Amino acid sequence: MLRHVTDVPVITFASAAMTLFLMFGLIDPAQAVPSYARQTGQECIACHVSFPELTPYGRYFKLTGYTIGKTSFSSEGMNYLPLAMMAQASVTNTRNNNTTDPNTGDTVSVNQRNNGIVFCCASIFLASKVNDYIGGFVQWTYNHLATTADGTLGGHSGIDNTDLRVAGKYSGAGAAEPDWVYGATVHNNPTVQDVWNSTPAFGFPYTTSPLASTPAAATLIDGGLAQQVAGLGAYVFWKKTLYGEVSFYKTADGAFSILRQGQDIHTDGGVAALKGYNPYWRFAYSQDWGANSIMVGTYGMVVDRYPSNLDTSTPTDRFRDIAIDAQYQYITDPHTFTAQLTYIDEKQSYDASFPVTLATGAGIGAGPAPANPTDKLHTFKAKATYYHDRKYGGTLAYFSTTGSADSGLYGTDPNGNAMKPDSSGYIIELDYLPIQNIRVMFQYIAYNKFNGASTNFDGNGRNARDNNTAFLNVWVAF
Amino acid sequence: MTRKYVVLAVILLAGAITPVSAQNTAADIQKAAEEKAVNLCSTCHGPRGISTSPEFPILAAQRKGYLEAQIDAFRKKARAEKDAHDFMWGIAGNLDEAIIGGIAAYYAAQPPAPGRTDDPKLVAKGKELFDKGLPERGIPACKACHGDDAKGTADFPRLAGQHAKYVAKQLNYIQSLVRAAPVMHGIIKDLTPPEMQAVAAYVQSK
Repeated sequence: MLRHVTDVPVITFASAAMTLFLMFGLIDPAQAVPSYARQTGQECIACHVSFPELTPYGRYFKLTGYTIGKTSFSSEGMNYLPLAMMAQASVTNTRNNNTTDPNTGDTVSVNQRNNGIVFCCASIFLASKVNDYIGGFVQWTYNHLATTADGTLGGHSGIDNTDLRVAGKYSGAGAAEPDWVYGATVHNNPTVQDVWNSTPAFGFPYTTSPLASTPAAATLIDGGLAQQVAGLGAYVFWKKTLYGEVSFYKTADGAFSILRQGQDIHTDGGVAALKGYNPYWRFAYSQDWGANSIMVGTYGMVVDRYPSNLDTSTPTDRFRDIAIDAQYQYITDPHTFTAQLTYIDEKQSYDASFPVTLATGAGIGAGPAPANPTDKLHTFKAKATYYHDRKYGGTLAYFSTTGSADSGLYGTDPNGNAMKPDSSGYIIELDYLPIQNIRVMFQYIAYNKFNGASTNFDGNGRNARDNNTAFLNVWVAF
Repeated sequence: MTRKYVVLAVILLAGAITPVSAQNTAADIQKAAEEKAVNLCSTCHGPRGISTSPEFPILAAQRKGYLEAQIDAFRKKARAEKDAHDFMWGIAGNLDEAIIGGIAAYYAAQPPAPGRTDDPKLVAKGKELFDKGLPERGIPACKACHGDDAKGTADFPRLAGQHAKYVAKQLNYIQSLVRAAPVMHGIIKDLTPPEMQAVAAYVQSK
């Protein structure tokens, strides 16, 4: 949202950064123990390269239903508190924070808190094993910088990522390790249940500025249904080599409404509404050798979505996402190197929205108003990370989204040509973890293209690089 | 209606899993211990105790008494190097003595890992040190306790086939008193890092 530049805080980027360092230097590390660490008695690095990226053992922990270790309560009393908290405080600098309001001609700020310290966001987790076969986590997040109805920033809380599992293991006579790990999951974000960090929900970047402008177009599987749907799935992992999963996603209503608690379900466009149960698949080949671990896989989904979440009497648009992904990890003491990539191909069939748009000039309710009956959208992401002693890390990432030109979805350029959804750029991130529960990170996102163009992408003189974002963040989990 | 299906599904899934029976007999205890080894220990220490990552020690064919003593040391937090603290305290803390004995017996009975040679010259240097020690510096031969070809003896651990990186790391921990092993500390306190690398390469080769 745009506000006048006079509203911008006057704290400088450098002074804000120094304050953050000093403030978090006072935290007592002895109290910083997330609930799964308390459950297993192990340190974070057993399961995480650095949170949230999982090690092979962390993947096994998740696939076996988060059940390794103790229950929080037993006949002996409370073993540990099954709660954890997470919070972030950051400073964001947008390269060119001034832009021109197309309606008034006034100079306004893009990022309302440029160079100022913001606390966003904070989460509480209920995370624990229930018994030897059932476990999971529920995340509840308070966002201090949510956009309110009048366009200003305000507080908002709601459910965040959630994954509940029932899991088991089967070993044949004389087996040296489990032949089968199998389970069922209920969750609320496609790929949040996945154990490799090449898929969207837990893919890089693991956190970004809560204030910066971000590209408008993304595939549906890449966060478009997060905390809006109920996912019901079953999976098997055979000899720690072949993974297969089938899940189905439906609108998180009725008995599943807790999975989208806090979402604006009464506003048109507030959430996604899906028709029936929409299939998702995931197959992966995984192999560990020496200190190396590799995975190649595919995942995807077919979703029939109502253009307006308030009107489920209409036909639906279909989104078909097919993705490939890969991950490599080399984990030793003190050197750790990891890399992930994914490519998502989305076909958007506007079977409901296009005919209505053609006839009326507008979509159904707040739904899309495409100029084409079908569109394509492709996303590619790749990143490589090095950590020394699990303390000092650096990541280099590339991202690219390309797709069909569609004036209805993306507008027209100054020459009247339909624009594309294209955005691309690089991310450089430096991380320092003084203890495993605290990450001090500096992230820089540099755009080559933003919402369809390198220059003048908004028709108002703004260039892609103007949205380059420096983000200094302190991320604490305890 | 949907709520009923969800509840039914959870009941069916939970019911399909047979609870662990009471562990009374020695056979039951051994079975429970082996299930623990197969389903949990193998995640890091590999199938049958032969890990592929040099960050995690090979357990196959290790001396039973030594394994029991080490797991117990993790459980009691007496062994306190960083890896022990980060990975093993929590795991061992959930084990009782009977299960520890069963796990130790399981790994002691497994076939040993084959030897692996990366640098023959380094291995030759390590063999010299392992077999003869360094009398001029008062360092006795390693094989006096760890046996011919590093296969271990009744009271001392097997080193043959162990990851060289792990052996060198432990030597360093013991020398710097991070890992409490008074006898070993006295013996290796004057070993240089290259000598540790050499002897580690040798035992890995056996």
